[in-house]
Amino acid sequence: MENNKNFSPEESLQLIQSMINTTKNKFSDNSFYFLFWGWLVFLCCIVQFILLKTYNYSYHYIVWLTMPIAGIISVLYGKNQSKKIKVKTFIDSATDYVWMALSIAFVITTFINISTGNWQNAWSSYILLYAIGTFITGLFLKFKPLIWGGCINFLIALISVKLDYHFQLLAGALAILISYIIPGYLLRASYKKQIN
Amino acid sequence: MFKELDPILHSQLRLAIMSLLIGVKEAEFTFIKEKTKATAGNLSVQVQKLKDSGYIEVTKQFKDNYPLTTCKITNKGIEAFEAYVKNLQTYLQIQK
Repeated sequence: MENNKNFSPEESLQLIQSMINTTKNKFSDNSFYFLFWGWLVFLCCIVQFILLKTYNYSYHYIVWLTMPIAGIISVLYGKNQSKKIKVKTFIDSATDYVWMALSIAFVITTFINISTGNWQNAWSSYILLYAIGTFITGLFLKFKPLIWGGCINFLIALISVKLDYHFQLLAGALAILISYIIPGYLLRASYKKQIN
Repeated sequence: MFKELDPILHSQLRLAIMSLLIGVKEAEFTFIKEKTKATAGNLSVQVQKLKDSGYIEVTKQFKDNYPLTTCKITNKGIEAFEAYVKNLQTYLQIQK
């Protein structure tokens, strides 16, 4: 591009429009988080269900010890990714802030459940938190699979209250499949389309 | 009344830089270079002029031993950009 000062207002508007279009609707690839957490939580729900139902194992909740490790992996991945990102949009930052707040909410909810010893409604709260995150991220990115995933999760959260604890685990697995795993793959495909 | 267009913004490359930065939180020098297809030398000069006018903020740091320059539009820059677009609109309306 030259540094020409003799260009008409029409050309000026065209230039502004073309530059704005290159950054409009641009978003970073968040699919790693959805797929990584999605598969991990999905497997943990299923394994805990099997340990509880089939083997009647007393320490069935042991699977969730993977969560702090996954948290560390997630933070390290995020740090490494931020080095590669050349442009940061407001949507990228807003999404980061929403998930940061939700991560804190997950930890606090778990702490409340541990200290009260009441796990009966634990999954309803977790599914509700998944619903909020997925729904807001979907609206930010204008990405329908995430919006729908979030809406369905709100419903699953409501229904799960009526279920027994071990069936709540399956409800959790279903919620994760609908709101993380499936939209995660679709998001990855849509991001690849964006960069091509 | 038609006002004189801001000479800082009425230059293709500088206007391109500002138009890129108006829609994002911050962008790296390499991203701007890629999108404007300008040479590094020319881009550096124009970025410096925008910085001197207070329209953008430039942060220089090191990432894995490579220099990294990040640009971000300032409130003054946003106001100037909006005024520029408004003047363009007035100008185009007069022409009609």
